[in-house]
Amino acid sequence: MEVSPSPLLTVDSLTIDIAGAHVVDDVSFTVAPGRVMALVGESGCGKSLTSYAMLGLLPPAAKRTGGRIMLENTDLACLTERQFRKARGKDISIIFQEPSASLDPLSTVGTQIAEAFRAHHGGSKAEAFEKARQMLVDVGIPDPNRRLHQYPFELSGGMCQRIMISIALICGPRVLVADEPTTALDVTIQAQILDLMKKLVAERGTAIVLITHDMGVVADIADDVAVMYAGRMAEIAPVHALFREPKHPYTALLLASVPKLDHAPKADLATIEGMVPTPSEFGVGCRFHDRCPLSTDKCRSEAPPLFDCGDGHRSACWHIDRMAEIRAVAA
Amino acid sequence: MSEQKNVLEIRDVAVHFGGNGGLFGKSGAVVKAVNGVTLDIVRGETVALVGESGCGKSTLSNTIVGLQQPVAGSVKIGGEEVVGADRKKLNDIRRKVQMIFQDPALSLDPRSTIGATIGEPLIVRGVAKGKALKERVGALLAQVGLRPEHADRYPHQFSGGQRQRVVIARALALEPDLVICDEPVSALDVSVRAQILNLLVALQKRTGVSYLFVSHDLGVVRHICDRVVVMYLGRFVEIADRDTFFANPKHPYTKALMSAVPEADPEVQRSKERLILGGELPSPANIPSGCAFHTRCPLATEICGRERPELTVRDDGARVACHHA
Repeated sequence: MEVSPSPLLTVDSLTIDIAGAHVVDDVSFTVAPGRVMALVGESGCGKSLTSYAMLGLLPPAAKRTGGRIMLENTDLACLTERQFRKARGKDISIIFQEPSASLDPLSTVGTQIAEAFRAHHGGSKAEAFEKARQMLVDVGIPDPNRRLHQYPFELSGGMCQRIMISIALICGPRVLVADEPTTALDVTIQAQILDLMKKLVAERGTAIVLITHDMGVVADIADDVAVMYAGRMAEIAPVHALFREPKHPYTALLLASVPKLDHAPKADLATIEGMVPTPSEFGVGCRFHDRCPLSTDKCRSEAPPLFDCGDGHRSACWHIDRMAEIRAVAA
Repeated sequence: MSEQKNVLEIRDVAVHFGGNGGLFGKSGAVVKAVNGVTLDIVRGETVALVGESGCGKSTLSNTIVGLQQPVAGSVKIGGEEVVGADRKKLNDIRRKVQMIFQDPALSLDPRSTIGATIGEPLIVRGVAKGKALKERVGALLAQVGLRPEHADRYPHQFSGGQRQRVVIARALALEPDLVICDEPVSALDVSVRAQILNLLVALQKRTGVSYLFVSHDLGVVRHICDRVVVMYLGRFVEIADRDTFFANPKHPYTKALMSAVPEADPEVQRSKERLILGGELPSPANIPSGCAFHTRCPLATEICGRERPELTVRDDGARVACHHA
């Protein structure tokens, strides 16, 4: 059994409120150096808010009302904006879904990478450009001397995402948050970017928090998976265990709704009836109860804690022992 | 005769853009978005059109519904020629073919109730009005799993999946023979995708409608399609029945696509053969000579840069355009 090294990033009981509703409610997980933690869930599950909180990028309406985000001994959640400016890029970085929207269209990519380096390390422009050139080599951009002097519009989407990764990593952060980094890219380019991320994790020991809704991407790159539903952690497990034996009905149904190799063509896929509740509809019980085939009175009245099932597998469900019924529904 | 069974017949269609004039009267490069493709779709069949951005699949879709004029070739829907048809003729043909787009929020008028949206094609075509119209709209809503009383609501009152149901109801209002589905589930959440795919399959069983299903998600394609067409830089590079296609893909580009699409199973995904393509899709304004794929192809030899391979039939019925596959 592989022993994970001690955590670099610890999110502990994080709670974020918007208009009085806990849109992120008591969320905890850890990420070790060189590991990829995937935060999975559908729109509105709180996975993006959780990651934005790590970078002090919460929208004005959202307030952290509890919990800590420890990057080793620093609580990121307590940093002032001034302190965050020092931490972002140097200790923790982020890349977004749409690389061309994240780059400045009016400066060359070399200037943008060099700017990120000088913001933390100072030094001369020439030195920063040399660093930027090396970075382009590391992220696999051919002909870096020419590319440095090009503008984002001259580059393809995949190339722009490599530039974003360069900017994010130029100061050697220990944690990289990747928010749907390949969703906007074509599949052959997605494969290139995922391979690049795997290589960087292995070489630099960067911890990655990957936000995605694509179970294929999770299966490809994640070491651990945290499944969120309506602001709460539903299940958290090592990747193989999660896919082989999900212990939360939501995860099991989500996995069953993706067409598989052995699934008969045009046969009905498993579905999850109903819709994700909006924050105003959150009740006191399990937030998945009205869509769950296993639901009982207890689920309606009492929120389940995250039960430890051993081997790093945890699930917030009162009926973990009845998961066989879900597998029957899903099959 | 096979002529009558074909819902769609495309022959040697080419669509080019630019070349003369241009924005400031300069002559620019000709963008050859679609470059001589031929395809039939029979009644009740689902054909997947697979390819990456810039391969010409949207241009081809637009050409089929007559939104784009080809520079060469013929497009027949139910035996009627779309290319060069006059306005009146085109209007008649268009009721037989409808489109569903990726993002339902962008396909619906936010200021119209969904009843008005679904009823509009019926009014325009003079199919129904008054009480009959209301009943027909109610029946269409029920058919896609919504309730007749939803007709008075506006798009913003629905979730993404429900909006896509509304779009599907509108597309089916005139009982078309062919629906072009352009990435119909890509913008939806995973749990909702399965609902929409189940709905599309059920509607096909009930009405016999054919689908041209544009997608890059091979898992979805394998689930829903009878035949698969792979497009690269304006040409078809492989056409095969689903089972043949997935059991024995032949074109190196097809193999690269299959290798690139991550399987939602870590054991399968991490043990599968990897064929990661280098480089990017070349610009359709500057298509490589010979086989357009030769600049990224692991099998490429000297002949590939010189001679363009034609689609040839293989033992198992697949048609493949490759010198080496």
